Amino acid sequence: MVIAKNIVKTFKLSRQQKREMGDGFQGNTIDAVCDISFTCQPGRVFALLGPNGAGKTTALRMIATMLKPTSGSISVAEYDTVAQSQAVRENLGFLTGNTGLYDRLTPNEMVRYFADLHGMNSADYNTRRDHLCALLDMEAFANRRIGKLSTGMKQKVSIVRTIIHDPDVIVFDEPTDGLDVVTSRNIVHLIRDCRNAGKTVIFSTHRMGEVSLLSDDLAIIHKGQLQFNGTLEDFQNQMQTPTLEDEFIRIVEQA
Amino acid sequence: MKPILTIFKKEFKDITRDRRSMMMMFIIPMLLFPLLFTIAAAFTTRQTQKVRTKTLVVALITNGNAEAFREILLKRDDLKIREDIAEDIIPQLIRSDSIDAAIRVDEQFDAQISDLQRGQIHLYFKSSRDMDASRNRLTSLIRDYENQIVNDRFQRLALDRMIVDPVQVRRHDIATQRERIGKSVGGFLPYIFVLMCFMGCMYPALDLGAGEKERATLETLLVAPVSKIQILLGKCGVIVLSGFASIANSFIGFFIAVMLQREIVARILDALQGMFEISSILLVLSLCLPLTIFFAAALMSVSIFAKSFKEAQSIMAPLNIIIIIPVFIGLLPGIELNAITSLIPVLNVSLASKEIFAGTIKLPLLFEVYASLIALAALSLYGCARWFERESTIFRET
Repeated sequence: MVIAKNIVKTFKLSRQQKREMGDGFQGNTIDAVCDISFTCQPGRVFALLGPNGAGKTTALRMIATMLKPTSGSISVAEYDTVAQSQAVRENLGFLTGNTGLYDRLTPNEMVRYFADLHGMNSADYNTRRDHLCALLDMEAFANRRIGKLSTGMKQKVSIVRTIIHDPDVIVFDEPTDGLDVVTSRNIVHLIRDCRNAGKTVIFSTHRMGEVSLLSDDLAIIHKGQLQFNGTLEDFQNQMQTPTLEDEFIRIVEQA
Repeated sequence: MKPILTIFKKEFKDITRDRRSMMMMFIIPMLLFPLLFTIAAAFTTRQTQKVRTKTLVVALITNGNAEAFREILLKRDDLKIREDIAEDIIPQLIRSDSIDAAIRVDEQFDAQISDLQRGQIHLYFKSSRDMDASRNRLTSLIRDYENQIVNDRFQRLALDRMIVDPVQVRRHDIATQRERIGKSVGGFLPYIFVLMCFMGCMYPALDLGAGEKERATLETLLVAPVSKIQILLGKCGVIVLSGFASIANSFIGFFIAVMLQREIVARILDALQGMFEISSILLVLSLCLPLTIFFAAALMSVSIFAKSFKEAQSIMAPLNIIIIIPVFIGLLPGIELNAITSLIPVLNVSLASKEIFAGTIKLPLLFEVYASLIALAALSLYGCARWFERESTIFRET
C-alpha cells in the first residue's frame, strides 16, 4: 500500500529557470506538488493523470525516495520514504517509458546486477529469472548486448529488471511514452498481471485511454494540485462531458 | 560493502567494454612514450645529419685581405664560396635563401693583424634557419683561423701561450648520473603521467555520471536499495582504477620506449634503468594513488552535476589546462620540493617524483606530500558525496 499525506515539494529556481517563467513570475521557488494526499491499495491500479509538467513525475519520484517531500509524508509498504528509504526501495519497482538500460551489458547481466543490488541469493534469482524470461519470451536475446536490441526487446529487459525482486509496490512513470503499439501492450499486460498478483500499482500518464483500460482508482493532478481523487467509477458518474478525455480536458482547463 | 563491490564490478565490466575508456587506459599511455621517443629520435637524427652534411653557399668579400682564411674556405668540400656578390645585397640574398651566409673581411684587416691589433670579420647569417647551422659551422672555421693568428703572434713574440691562460679549471661533479638525469627526465615524466591520470579518470567519470543521467539509468539505480554513498564509492573505485591503470601503463610505455632507443648512450641507459628501479616506481605510484582519488572525486562531481555528456565534457576540458599549470611550474628552474611546495597539490607530486627518480628525496618532505595528498583526496571524496546527496545536483533539469 502507498499512502501520501499532504505532500508538498518545493523547488528553488535557478536564475535561468526564473527567466523562463516570464516577467509575471514572482519569488524564488515553485511548488511542483502542492499539498496532495492519496492512497493506493494492494491489488488495485492507481492512475496519476495530468498534463505535461503537472507534477506527476515529482510525485512518483517522492514515492520512489529519489526526492524528499518538503512537507507531508509518504509510506510505501508501511515504511516511511524519508526515515526508512532503504526499506522502501527494497519493496519497490520503478519503471519509466525511457528504458534506462546499460547498452554494453547483456539482459542477463543487467538483471543479475539489479538482483544483486536487491540482495537476492542465487537460487531465488535463478528461479525468478527463468520464470520471467519464459513469460516474456526473452531467452533468444538474453545474452546479446542490450545496445543491439530492438525497443520492444529493451522494454522487456526493463520490465524484468523492475520486478526481478518481486516488489510489493510497482511504480510506472509514463511507461508507454514513445513506445509502439506492440511494446505498449507488453506494459499493459504487465500492469494487469501485477494487479492480479495483489501488488500495489501506480502509473502516471497523460493518456485517458490507458486510464479507462487499466485503472481502478485515479487522481488528476494539474499545476501540482489535486483536481480529482477517487475511483474510476466515481469519476465516470460525475462526468459533465460525454467522454473521459473531454472530462479530463474540462477539469484541467477549469483549474 | 557488498553493494559497493557489486556496483564496482558492474561498472568495471561496463567500462572495459567501452572502447574510448580502454584507449585512455591502455593504448594511449602504452604507445605515447614509444611513439614520442621514436618520432623525436628519428626527426633529430635526420635533421642533425642534414644540417651537418649540407653544402653551405657562402658569399665571401675579403677586400684583398685574409688570404690564408680565404684559402681555408675554398679548400672545403662542404662550402660553396661565391666571391661575386656585392655587400649591399647580402641581407636580401640570405633572407630569400639564395645563399646560406656571408663573410666580409674589413679593408684594414691585414694591416691591423700585422700591427698586433684586432681585425674584424663580419659574419651574416639567419639564425632561424637549419638550427643555426651556418653560424655554428662558419664560427668554428673563423675560430680555427683566429687560433692560427694567435699562435703566429706568440711565436713572433717568443712567448708561451700559457701566460694568457694562467688558471685551469678542472670540474669535479659529485652528482651521480642518476641524479643529473633524474632531475631532468624526472621532471618531465610527471607532466605526462599526471595528464594521463587525469585523462584516464575523465572518460569513465563522464560515462558513470553524466552518461548515466543521459541514458536515464541513474534513476533506476537510485531506486535500488543502496545508499548514494555506496553508489558513489562503487563508481569512484572504477574511475580510480582507470586513472591508476593509465599511469602504470605510462610507466610501461616509457620503459619500452627507453629499451627501443638504441641511440641512447650506454651510461645514460644505465642511469635511466637505475631511475626505474622497482622501489622508485612503487613510491611514485603510491603518490599518484591519492592524486587519482582526488581527480576521480572532482571529475565525478562535475559529471554528476552536468545535465548531459556534452555539458560535462565542456566543463572538464578546461580543467586539463588547470591541472597542467602546477606540473609546468614544477619544471621551472629553481622550484624545489620544500615545506611549502610539498603542500601544493599536483606540484608536490611533480617535484617529489623528480626527487624520487634522482634518488634524493628527503623523508620528512615525502611524508608531508603524502599527508597533503591524502587530506586532499579525503576532502574531495567528502565534497563529492555531499554533492551527490543534493537533489538539485542529480535532478538539475527539474
